[in-house]
Amino acid sequence: MDRRTLTRAAVIVVLLLLALLVLPPLMSAYYTITMIQVAIYSIVTLGLGLLVGRVGMYSLGQLAVLTIGAWVAARLLFATSQPYILVLIEAGLVTMIIGSLITLPALRLRGLYLALITLMLAGGVTVIEATLNFPNGGGGFSGYNGSALHIPQIRRPSFASTDPAFYRFSVIVAIVMFLLVFAHLRARPGRAWAAIRQSEPSALAAGINTTFYKLWAMALAAFVTGVAGALLAGADRELLSIDFPIQNSVLLLAVVLMGGAYSLVGAVIAGFLQAFLPAALYNLWGVPNDWLIILFGIGVMQVLATAPGGIADQFPKDMKRLYRLISRLWRPAPPPPPINTGGIPRRIIIQETAEVHTRSVVIEEYGQAGPAAEQADPGRSQGAEGDREP
Amino acid sequence: MPSWADFQPYIVTGLALGGIYALSGVGLVVLYRATGVLNLAFGAVGAMGAFIAYSIIKAGNPGWVGWIVCILFSGVVTLGYGLIFGPALAGRGPLVQAVSTLGLALIIFGAIDLLWPTTGGQSPSISFPTDSSTVFTVSDLSVSWTQLIALLLGVVIAAGTAAFLRFSKLGTAMRAMANDREITATLGVPVRSVEAAAWLGCGLLGGIAGIMLADMSALDDTTLVFTVVISSLAAALIGRLRSIPVTFVAALVIGVIHDMLTPITQVQPYQDMTPFVLAVIALLVMSRGAVMTRSREEG
Repeated sequence: MDRRTLTRAAVIVVLLLLALLVLPPLMSAYYTITMIQVAIYSIVTLGLGLLVGRVGMYSLGQLAVLTIGAWVAARLLFATSQPYILVLIEAGLVTMIIGSLITLPALRLRGLYLALITLMLAGGVTVIEATLNFPNGGGGFSGYNGSALHIPQIRRPSFASTDPAFYRFSVIVAIVMFLLVFAHLRARPGRAWAAIRQSEPSALAAGINTTFYKLWAMALAAFVTGVAGALLAGADRELLSIDFPIQNSVLLLAVVLMGGAYSLVGAVIAGFLQAFLPAALYNLWGVPNDWLIILFGIGVMQVLATAPGGIADQFPKDMKRLYRLISRLWRPAPPPPPINTGGIPRRIIIQETAEVHTRSVVIEEYGQAGPAAEQADPGRSQGAEGDREP
Repeated sequence: MPSWADFQPYIVTGLALGGIYALSGVGLVVLYRATGVLNLAFGAVGAMGAFIAYSIIKAGNPGWVGWIVCILFSGVVTLGYGLIFGPALAGRGPLVQAVSTLGLALIIFGAIDLLWPTTGGQSPSISFPTDSSTVFTVSDLSVSWTQLIALLLGVVIAAGTAAFLRFSKLGTAMRAMANDREITATLGVPVRSVEAAAWLGCGLLGGIAGIMLADMSALDDTTLVFTVVISSLAAALIGRLRSIPVTFVAALVIGVIHDMLTPITQVQPYQDMTPFVLAVIALLVMSRGAVMTRSREEG
C-alpha cells in the first residue's frame, strides 16, 4: 500500500467520523431527514453504478428493485417482531432472489436491449405497486388496509428510533455496503466484470463465465438496493406508491451518470445529487423540483457528450484547470515549468490516473466501432445481412 | 366473466389506440434504422407540443392552429436535438445515444411541470370536433371520426413509410445507412442531410401522436412522456426496431389487448402492463439462439 492510498483512506475515515459524530448535533431536523435519504440513495446509486460503470449494464429498473426491497421490509416489519438488522438482511436477500429471477432471462440480452427490458420491467413493477400498495399494517399477503384511519408507522430499531440515531445507523449500513462492493471489486469478480465491460466475447474467450458474473453483479446490486429499500421503509415510516413515479427510474440513472459511474466516490456524489440538492435548494430558495429535473437532463447529455467519468472524475480535473488558469492570471508572463524534483512526481502520478481513464474510454469506443469495421469484410457483412432480415 | 358484448366497444377504442402506437412505433423504427438512435424523448416532445396546443386553443385561437403548432414544435425540437447531439454522439454506440435522449425527455418533462403546473383549477385537456360525431354504428356501438382517423393514420403512415423506404431515393439512402453508414457516405450519399430528414420525420410523427393521445387518452405529462413512449417502444421492440409491418401489427395487438382487459375486473388494474409483458415475452423469445451473435445495433 503506497502513501497515496493511505492518505486517501485516512481522508475517507476522517470524513466518515465527521459525518457520524460531528454532523448529527449540528444539523436541523430537516437536514437530518435529508441526510438519511442521502445515505440511503448512496447505496442505491452504488448498486446502479456497479452495473453501469463496472459491468457496462445500463439498468433503468433499479428504482423498481428499491421498491421491492422497501415492500418486503415493510411487510416483514409489520408481520414479525424480528430485530431490524435481521429484516434488513432478509429484505436484501429476498430482493436479490426476486431481482435475479426477473433479470435471469434478460441476461442474454445486451446493451440497448438490456436497458429497454429493464425499463419495461420497471414499468411493470410500477403498475403492480400502484395496485398492490405498500403494507400499512393490514392483513393478508399485501398487508394493505385501504380504510385504515390510524395507520401504524413502520417501526425502527430500538437503538435508532430518533432521526439523528437513525441517520447514524443509515450511514453505518451504507459504509458496510460500500465495503462489500469494494471487496468484490478488488477480488476476482471485479476483474471479471472489468473484462466483460471491455468486451464480452473477449472475456468469454479468456475463460470467464460471463453469464455467471453478470448474474453475480445483478444479484449484488439487487442485494444492496434491497437493503437500501429496507432502510427507506424505516426512514419514511410510511410508504406510498406515488412516491416512486416511473420518471425517478430515469432520474436515478441520470444522477449516477452525472456523479460518475466509474468510482465509488461517484456513488456518494450521486446520492447527494439525488437527495440533498433538491432538498437544499428548496429549503434555501424555494426552487421547485422541476428545475432539478431539467438540470439533471442537461447534466446527462453533457456527461455523455463530453465527460464520461462524471463529476467524480471531472471535478478534480476542472479544479486543476481552474488553478492553472488562476496562477496564469497571477503571473501574466508564465515562466517555463519549474524543474522541481520535489513537486513533479506527485503531478505525474495524478496525470497517469487520468490517462488510464481516458485510455479505457478510448478502448471502449474502439470496441464498439469494431464490428462495423468488420462488416466491410464481404463474408462478415453477408452474415450480418442475414441476421438483419430474419 | 363479462360477455362478448361487453368487449365489443373496447375493440374499437383499442384499435384507435393501437393506430397511434403504430405511427409512434414507425417513427421510432425509421429514426433508429436511419441514424442508429432510439429516440426515447419521442413521447416528451409530443407531450410538450400538446400542452402548447392546449394553451393556444385556450387563448381563443382556432383548433387547427394549435394542432399545426404542436406538430411543428416537436418536429423542430427533435430536428434541433438531432443536429446538435447526433454528430456529437455519433460512434458512441446506440446505448449512449438512447440514454442521451432520456436527458432530453427529462428536460422537457421538468419544463412541462414548471410551465403547466397541475395544482388546482380544471385540468388541461384537448378535444377535437370529431370526438362526438358518429361515423357508423356496429350493433349499438358507435365509432367516432376521431377513432377512425386514429386507426387510418396508423395504417396510412405505416404503409406510406414502408413505401417511402422502399421506392423513394431518400428512403433508399436511409436503408443504405441502416446497413452501413461509412460505406453509404463513401458512395456519395449526403449522410447528414438524410439523418436530419429522419430526425424531422420522427419529430413530426411524435407531434401527431402527442396531439392525438392528448385527446384520446389524457393531457397528462407522466402518461404522455413515459407510458406512451414505452407502449410504442414495446411495439417497435417486437418488430426488432427494424420491421415496419411487424411493428404495425404489434401496436394494434397491444392497443386491442390493453383495452379489452378493461371489462375483466380482476385484471383491469394491471392492464397497463400489457405492453411490458408482450415486449418482454417477445424479446426473450426472439433472443433465443442469438446469444453471442454480435450485430451492430447491440453495440
